[in-house]
Amino acid sequence: MHFDFDAGKYAVYVWPAFALTAAAFVWMIADSLASARRWRREAERLQALKEVSKEAKR
Amino acid sequence: MGARDPHHHPLDFLTNPERFMAFSRWAAPMFGAIAAVLAVVGLVLTFAAPEDYQQGDTVRMMFIHVPAAVICMFIYLCLGVASFLALVFRHALADAAAVACAPLGAAFTVLALATGSLWGKPMWGTWWVWDARLTSVLVLLLFYLGYLALRSALEDEQKAARAAAILALVGVINLPIIKFSVEWWNSLHQGSSTLFAKPGDALPAVYAWPMLIMTLAYLSAFGSLWLVRIRSQVWRRKARALALQQAEG
Repeated sequence: MHFDFDAGKYAVYVWPAFALTAAAFVWMIADSLASARRWRREAERLQALKEVSKEAKR
Repeated sequence: MGARDPHHHPLDFLTNPERFMAFSRWAAPMFGAIAAVLAVVGLVLTFAAPEDYQQGDTVRMMFIHVPAAVICMFIYLCLGVASFLALVFRHALADAAAVACAPLGAAFTVLALATGSLWGKPMWGTWWVWDARLTSVLVLLLFYLGYLALRSALEDEQKAARAAAILALVGVINLPIIKFSVEWWNSLHQGSSTLFAKPGDALPAVYAWPMLIMTLAYLSAFGSLWLVRIRSQVWRRKARALALQQAEG
């Protein structure tokens, strides 16, 4: 199999398109995972607080 | 063997938040892994494909531009269906699904427009032209941004969800306009060269395969990220409910 990475005179258009696509995927993955992690921790923290206050009331 | 629960619905894993969380816990990484494998195969085929006799090396942009354009429309369809279910059946998970896919749809639309522009300059001699296909995709981006803006502009979350769902449903009208724009109006943009191609316009296999595989990679990536973002919404709502309970004492 022969790979052609030399885009010649079109390199100035081809590589930015691939770079932009990679950047968009990195942002989508990082933002989705960070947001999920943040809210999961917050929900767990509040759940733990609720358990503690329940115990204190007893 | 236990008796089958008569109230159990086959789609419970999508409509019941607890079952959804159990399902998405393994489904999200599975779709992510499938997307990674497909992307590697697709990129190998992308750079192994020969130069086009007319477009030269710019033909490789087709394998990242077309999937982005297809997926941004597919995501809007998902947004429309989820918004409809949230609006009519007031289903919280449907609303979470709607709000979770909008940022991803906006990102794929930006990608479709930007990679299209980078392809258009060497092929058409211009970065942008106000033709029907490009303009209708720009309108799609505005619908996504409008949806996101509306959701964050209103303080009452239920009102915001309802208003944004109505906006999302109005925007569904734009999907057939995008699809058929190149047939209804004169356009610089080419017509379909894949599933709906006219005889003789279909892509040769050496270009069709990488495009199909990259489209499936984008689709799997979206599936994975959508599930992750819906999970995030479920946790956010749980945190909000717990915070409210605490505030009420």
